[in-house]
Amino acid sequence: MVTEVIAKNQASPTRTRRVTQDSRGTRVFGAFNTVFLLLLCAGMLYPFITVLAQSFSSPGAIKAGQVSFWPVGFNLDTYGAVMQNETFWRNYGNTVLYTVVGTAIAMTLTTTYAFVLSKKHLKGRKVLIGIAVFTMFFNGGLVPNYVLISSLGMKNTLWAIVLPGAISVFNLLVMKSFFESLPRDIEEAAQIDGLGWYGIFGRIVLPLSKAVIATMVLFYSVAFWNDWFAAFLYLDKSELFPVTLFLRNLIAGASTSTSEGAAAAGTTTELLSANIESVTMILTVIPILCVYPFVQRYFVSGVMLGSVKG
Amino acid sequence: MSDVFGRTPMRATRRGLIGFTVAGGGALALGACSDDGDGEVNVDEQAKGAMDDFKADTQFTATEPFTLSLLWTEWPDLPITDSWQFFTEIEKRTNVKFEVTTIPFSDAVEKRSLLISAGDAPSVIPLVYTGEENSFVSSGAVLPMSDYVEHMPNFQKYVEEWDLGGMIDNLKQADGKYYMLPGLQEVSVPVFTLVIRKDVFETVAGGIPETWDELREALVKIKAEYPNSKPLADGFEGQSMLNYAAHAFGAQAGWGFGTGMMDDGSGTLQYTAASAGYKEMVEYFRGLVADGLVDTDSFTAANDGEGTVGEKFAQELVFAASGSSGTAIDFAVGLDATVGAGNYEVLQIAPPGGPAGQICEPRNFWNGFMLNSELADSEYFLATLQFLDWLYYSPDARELVRWGVLDETYTKDADGKITLNPDFRLDAYKLNPEGTTDIQKDLGWSNSVFADSTESRALKESYNTPTFVEYIDSVLANRTPRDPNPPAPLEEAELEQASLLATPIKDTVDTNTLKFILGERDIAEWDDYVAELEGQGLQQYVDLINGARERFKENS
Repeated sequence: MVTEVIAKNQASPTRTRRVTQDSRGTRVFGAFNTVFLLLLCAGMLYPFITVLAQSFSSPGAIKAGQVSFWPVGFNLDTYGAVMQNETFWRNYGNTVLYTVVGTAIAMTLTTTYAFVLSKKHLKGRKVLIGIAVFTMFFNGGLVPNYVLISSLGMKNTLWAIVLPGAISVFNLLVMKSFFESLPRDIEEAAQIDGLGWYGIFGRIVLPLSKAVIATMVLFYSVAFWNDWFAAFLYLDKSELFPVTLFLRNLIAGASTSTSEGAAAAGTTTELLSANIESVTMILTVIPILCVYPFVQRYFVSGVMLGSVKG
Repeated sequence: MSDVFGRTPMRATRRGLIGFTVAGGGALALGACSDDGDGEVNVDEQAKGAMDDFKADTQFTATEPFTLSLLWTEWPDLPITDSWQFFTEIEKRTNVKFEVTTIPFSDAVEKRSLLISAGDAPSVIPLVYTGEENSFVSSGAVLPMSDYVEHMPNFQKYVEEWDLGGMIDNLKQADGKYYMLPGLQEVSVPVFTLVIRKDVFETVAGGIPETWDELREALVKIKAEYPNSKPLADGFEGQSMLNYAAHAFGAQAGWGFGTGMMDDGSGTLQYTAASAGYKEMVEYFRGLVADGLVDTDSFTAANDGEGTVGEKFAQELVFAASGSSGTAIDFAVGLDATVGAGNYEVLQIAPPGGPAGQICEPRNFWNGFMLNSELADSEYFLATLQFLDWLYYSPDARELVRWGVLDETYTKDADGKITLNPDFRLDAYKLNPEGTTDIQKDLGWSNSVFADSTESRALKESYNTPTFVEYIDSVLANRTPRDPNPPAPLEEAELEQASLLATPIKDTVDTNTLKFILGERDIAEWDDYVAELEGQGLQQYVDLINGARERFKENS
């Protein structure tokens, strides 16, 4: 017994040393890791910081390529000018509307669809899943899609923006897996207490699914906020455009090399003050950037919870 | 569309996707959607609102008001407003009200294709450059304008007066008809040319170069003075510079490559990229690159317009680069920040001449319009033709579209000199900056959809800067526009065959042109390169085009 203790004590310095050695290695690794991640972080932040710096710089300095981290020729006039631009705000309002309505519709449809699909006893469940998954791989094509939306009378309406993208199959499947992972016993208990399917869904399942719902709201709202393509296809009036299309139009001069005509047309946009682009970009990303930190805590857990059992 | 996650990776290739899908699926959709295209037009019966005595240089006023749908490309800095005087004044004068479909400038070409392919395009499709109509011809989505120009007296008058009949022939398709009407330019002045630092060229290089050889000498001197510089650049992947340089070497390249077929002097067509002139041009640029005179990054880097080149221009690393009058203004903005206003001079110079002579590209056409074939059913058909003839080609209308209302926004003296009234300004051309109302932004005049299209020399000179007027003069005084190539329109099946043959050949040409210029391939291998083109079916392609040329000659 005693000898064991002594042996243990004798052995312990070695172990301690080894621990120290390990921790030094860990520390070195940690240091490298930190440096690496910081570099990575800087690499990702750099373009953003440049745009931010440009937005406060004078157009001349931007055209002369003098702006990288800090504003050169500090000016706030452009913020003033952009903020006074009626079209910008109208389009901004449209984006908010499309995002809110689109996300609300998408969440309603996705949660209900996913809940139904998560019920293994449901007859025809596989067909319903098949219908959804099919659209991940095949679609009608651009022109037929356009003709369809157009003939449904949805062109130049809110519905052309929010309905075609209302159900994301990826989100649907994540949500379905999440619902499947909820203990059946709770539902059974609720049934015994007299709740119907709508009651179970609304009063039991949804409150238990805050994490996944928050994540999906984030996914959908970011997607609707950033989307310009549906608007580009289905809207013909600039007062209906979302701000992303306004922004895309602003920075279009960059891609005008295909023909002389296009390039000549592009040069007229060059007259546009260079930092208007940056200011518009900043004003466009800020709201969605602000939402992120608040939803992020649900973010990982929401997706992971869904995927564990999937 | 249904996968939110799927959107992110797809977005990068959407432009490609649109192009591909529209090109591929367009024909199919057109078959289904453009059933109105076959309708025979009876101009005399579809004459509601038309004027009986409409002739050149008279005011068009519809005898009965009507609405005309119009595709409007919206520039980001020029948001369209219904209340623009442009719309109200035109309606007041002509009884024609525009009903506008707005498309963003950023993706205007794609959206236009989509609308036409889906049979959903407005009646009038402006901002069409020659050649862009080709893809819509075979489906019958656009009207053959040549059938109706007899009702357009202004168009006919100025084609004759400015001697553009030969070039109009070049618009013809295989059926002998043309499907778009271009904007007519009285003077042939290339839009894109070399923009130089005039002060540096004068002090260091001893003057403004008139030929490519003189340019080379000048660049050598500049390089000696500014050793870190690579004085020549092109912000358009080389496409712009090769375009205006090629004419001086008796070739076609870059943006102006077209079908690649050009007149060999004997009335038949030869493939330019296998010609001696093309080789000479490539050798010339190879020499410049070898001596470190060309900013090769600008030839290879993804195009960003004048962005990066503009920065280098401002930092005195580049002293001559491709651009239009807009580019020159843009370069000046950067130089103001670095060199300081008043310490430099930027000048657009006439494209230098070369072995083929002091020759520049023919530039008598600018953007014009197509008409949706659904218009063939309109009872206002004749009135629409008359209206567009007035709007696009009548001098009064051109002046109106550029300057606004006479004696309200501008005045004109006895010599025809136009002056903006003190209350008005035109920021796009830096005119009257102290005026309170911008005739472009606030009133819609000088808009890019209509204003640049047809211009007499006087009108062009009326709003441009004195240095641009100088540029026009120098081009007209010292350069001859190259004769247009003889027309060789292809039939529908041939078009497909030609496209199948020409695309890989053109890829080889593009890749090797760049390789030769950058020195990645020795110019001694030129014959091997020509053999490669022949291996890809060059002769078959040349025969196809020359066959079409012969047919066209016989038919006309």
